[in-house]
Amino acid sequence: MNHLERAMAALTDGEADRLPAYPIACGVNRKLLGDDVTYAKWCSDPKLFADAFVAGQKYFDFDFAIGLMDLSVMAGDLGAHVRMDDENTPFVDKHIVHDIEDYEKMEVPDIKTGRSNVLIEGTRLFTEKLKDEVICAAFLEGPLLALTQVAGAERVFMDMFTNPSAVHAGLETMMEFDVQMVEALSKTGVAGLVWDYLWANYSCLGDKEYDEFEGCDKYAGKLNKLVVDSGIANCIHNCADLPHLDTQVKKFKPAIYSMAYYPLIPDSPSAGEVIENGYADNCLMAGNIDPQFFIRASTEKISKVTSDLCQEVKTALCKRGLNSRYCISSGCEVPPDRVTKLENIKAVVDVTKEDGKLGDC
Amino acid sequence: MNMKVSQIAGFLGSGKTTALMKIGEGLVKRGCKIAIVVNDVGEISIDSKYVEANGLEAREIAGGCICCQIAGSFAETLAKLHDGFDPEIVIVEPSGVAIPWGLKRAAEYSEAKSDMVIEHAPVITLVDATRIDMLLKAVRRLVETQIREADVCFVNKVDAATPESIAKTEELIKTINPRAEIAHLSSVTGEGLEMVTDIIMNKVSPRYDDAVEEEMLRKEYGRRDE
Repeated sequence: MNHLERAMAALTDGEADRLPAYPIACGVNRKLLGDDVTYAKWCSDPKLFADAFVAGQKYFDFDFAIGLMDLSVMAGDLGAHVRMDDENTPFVDKHIVHDIEDYEKMEVPDIKTGRSNVLIEGTRLFTEKLKDEVICAAFLEGPLLALTQVAGAERVFMDMFTNPSAVHAGLETMMEFDVQMVEALSKTGVAGLVWDYLWANYSCLGDKEYDEFEGCDKYAGKLNKLVVDSGIANCIHNCADLPHLDTQVKKFKPAIYSMAYYPLIPDSPSAGEVIENGYADNCLMAGNIDPQFFIRASTEKISKVTSDLCQEVKTALCKRGLNSRYCISSGCEVPPDRVTKLENIKAVVDVTKEDGKLGDC
Repeated sequence: MNMKVSQIAGFLGSGKTTALMKIGEGLVKRGCKIAIVVNDVGEISIDSKYVEANGLEAREIAGGCICCQIAGSFAETLAKLHDGFDPEIVIVEPSGVAIPWGLKRAAEYSEAKSDMVIEHAPVITLVDATRIDMLLKAVRRLVETQIREADVCFVNKVDAATPESIAKTEELIKTINPRAEIAHLSSVTGEGLEMVTDIIMNKVSPRYDDAVEEEMLRKEYGRRDE
């Protein structure tokens, strides 16, 4: 099977030759373009952004390509200061919400400028080059994540209780921003769009709070529908420790759901448990190798972890009566760090090619 | 070379930064070379006068996101502190939405960037007894997460809280995390500050790596037993 056939089989739980593999390697791919391509250059230039994905596909032989840049794209374009180290993921180091009134002062930026435009154009460029080889998807911050990036998470969480109307005012702006981005990204040729709905996390928010501030029809419901109505697949990534699986998988019905696993957090679901509990029945689940293994583990260790995960997944799929609905992936982005071991990314793909082979149960 | 990382967790407004500065002073007086890493949306700034007076180093990390993306910059901060200042102890004030285990994992990640071994002081969580009712209404899950993952919980601001609030806070901690040690703290009267300093200097908490290995073995043997 080629990548497209395998991915399509997994999406529909058809018979596949093996489990698909996609460690979420995005910024780290720039290392394949040479040492002078810093993170700052990569995420400011659509061509470099796209070239890195193309180089990554050629080198690693993935089954998907997902255009994740980082989680400060929207916040930066809204006016928050983003610290841009050469070798680290950028992050917001100066928020723009200091008073309750500031939530209402935010305005949607011109998405034809700034890093929003780099993301849109970069996604268009890598999709043009890779769409005949793998399923390509865009990546976008959900409204609550974007708001916490621009305003600070602790402030937003406290304001949800003390000044909920102000938080909703901020979310309205994020929604308008997201709607414009979906409209632009859906015209880049991608087959899907991946939302980062990070705060659907029981360590932070209960069902009621998540529903009020993102999970409801007014916010995520509207965005999910917009993606589907735009003719592309709606997908979700959530690297939190205790994700709201019932809401995000069973209610939102994404085509793909990518998640992490935290072995030390009580009730953090393993890959086997996720399948056993029915979340892969109608959705391609993806996970859950610890991203820091790509830096700190030996190649032997990450190969063993990948092999064990393949076995766990295959056993659980068989027990559940499913064929292929799990993608071997990293629970979050492979760190785009100078010390990330490219050989470990390759090992995850190569081990999945062998140990992820599917046959009779 | 070992570098010890001490997390002092708590939600915004729990008195973390004030306590952290007092603890820093206490450690310096005992002859420790320390650095402080604070959350950029902390309650107050660590100003240059404090840094200069105590001969320590201070850095900021991004607050907010609990996800892995922030791990790289935190690890880089620790590695640079080690290479440039070489402190024995780094006191970290994480964001109120950070997960203590996640921060341990990120700290150990710095070992890939510098020639050092990270050890952890017991995870300390400050619980603000003056606002306990409000915190439970507003951010209950976050407060519970931080208590659940603490080695030691300090009921903070005991100078200003009523005995009923202090008792309620202690009861909450016992319910959520029965294994946690519980003590009182006041940055105003100094109550508990010596104890915090002792804990940071003399006690250790498990490494993330070791804890994961242990948990995986437990699950593996569990599976074999089935």
